Amino acid sequence: MTIKQIFILILVCLGLCANTFVIASTDKSQAEAAIAAAEKARKKAGSVSGEWRDTAKLIKKAKGALKEGNYEKAMQLAKKAEHEGKMGYEQALAQQKLRLPAYLNY
Amino acid sequence: MKIMLKIMVMLLISAVTLSVQASPEKDLEVFHKYFKQKFPDVETAEFANGVYAFDMAGRENWEAIEEFPPYEPYIDDGQVMWETPFKNGKTYMDCFPDGPVIAHKYPYWDKKRKMVITLPLALNECRKAHGEKPLKYKKGDINKIMSYLAFQARGKTVNVIIPKDDPDAMAAYEEGKKFYFTRRGQLNFACAHCHFQNAGLKIRSEMLSSALGHTTHWPVYRSKWGTVGTLHRRFTGCNKQVRAKPFKAQGREYRNLEYFLTHMSNGMIMNGPGARK
Repeated sequence: MTIKQIFILILVCLGLCANTFVIASTDKSQAEAAIAAAEKARKKAGSVSGEWRDTAKLIKKAKGALKEGNYEKAMQLAKKAEHEGKMGYEQALAQQKLRLPAYLNY
Repeated sequence: MKIMLKIMVMLLISAVTLSVQASPEKDLEVFHKYFKQKFPDVETAEFANGVYAFDMAGRENWEAIEEFPPYEPYIDDGQVMWETPFKNGKTYMDCFPDGPVIAHKYPYWDKKRKMVITLPLALNECRKAHGEKPLKYKKGDINKIMSYLAFQARGKTVNVIIPKDDPDAMAAYEEGKKFYFTRRGQLNFACAHCHFQNAGLKIRSEMLSSALGHTTHWPVYRSKWGTVGTLHRRFTGCNKQVRAKPFKAQGREYRNLEYFLTHMSNGMIMNGPGARK
């Protein structure tokens, strides 16, 4: 293997591991920001009656992980909760108009 | 080519869902027709028995349970509650002079207050008016008095009226109807997916009941709960099962849902309290 090939291989490995490095370096402020974003998304979904069942629970667990100093876990849970909040909001907007199923013959 | 195009347009039209505001009477006609086509061998009156209108294996167990109904003690306790005076000496009869045969009159539209009044709500308003603590709406003693009142109204006909001259009443009905057909929760189901589209089919081991006749037999002793529970408790459970955050029991959403759902059972005979899995 040439030095150039080894260098490219190292770069590829670093690229594949990039996410791992990002998660491993999650700090308290990032986790707190993620939790705040999740809470914002949850409330937005709630404002259109689109909140899902587990979103608040996930945020609570994220806060628990934050308190324990497990910022990585707090971030993961918060991201999941934020995603649920966003999906719930989109779902509620998409369902704003009454659509009766076609199998009901009016 | 033209024929193909026509066929494609027709298929597209039939696949697209409808958005219509039909009258409650038209809704009733369409819903009854749908369930009649889905269950041609089931008499309309039988839908008041819920899933046991067509789950014949389950019906056999249910009929055996009805020999010694698990809700009986709740009826007895409910009668004691009904007849026991409040601390101020008044009784429920002071709020409900036609009582105890009153359950068939609910839910109804209160024109003055512009809201749907359900029986549990009315009972608690009576309690508050006489200085008593309100009962919780899902579990506990509300189920005793509701069991008693449901039993007293057995044989009465469901007859929810949506006043034609009151657009607010119609709006409440339409809100309930919209709720019923709206997807919600992480599982993205509407009530209709289970209780219209898939009624009679199984979800895991259990057969899904039809929307028709859903409200005639509440409150219900559910084996899963090991006790009697209210209709709004079931609404809460159903919403949680599709992973949606449930609404408040006896809040506007569930009262309007009850208004719509009970109207669907108009003409059916009340047969509560019931026993279910």
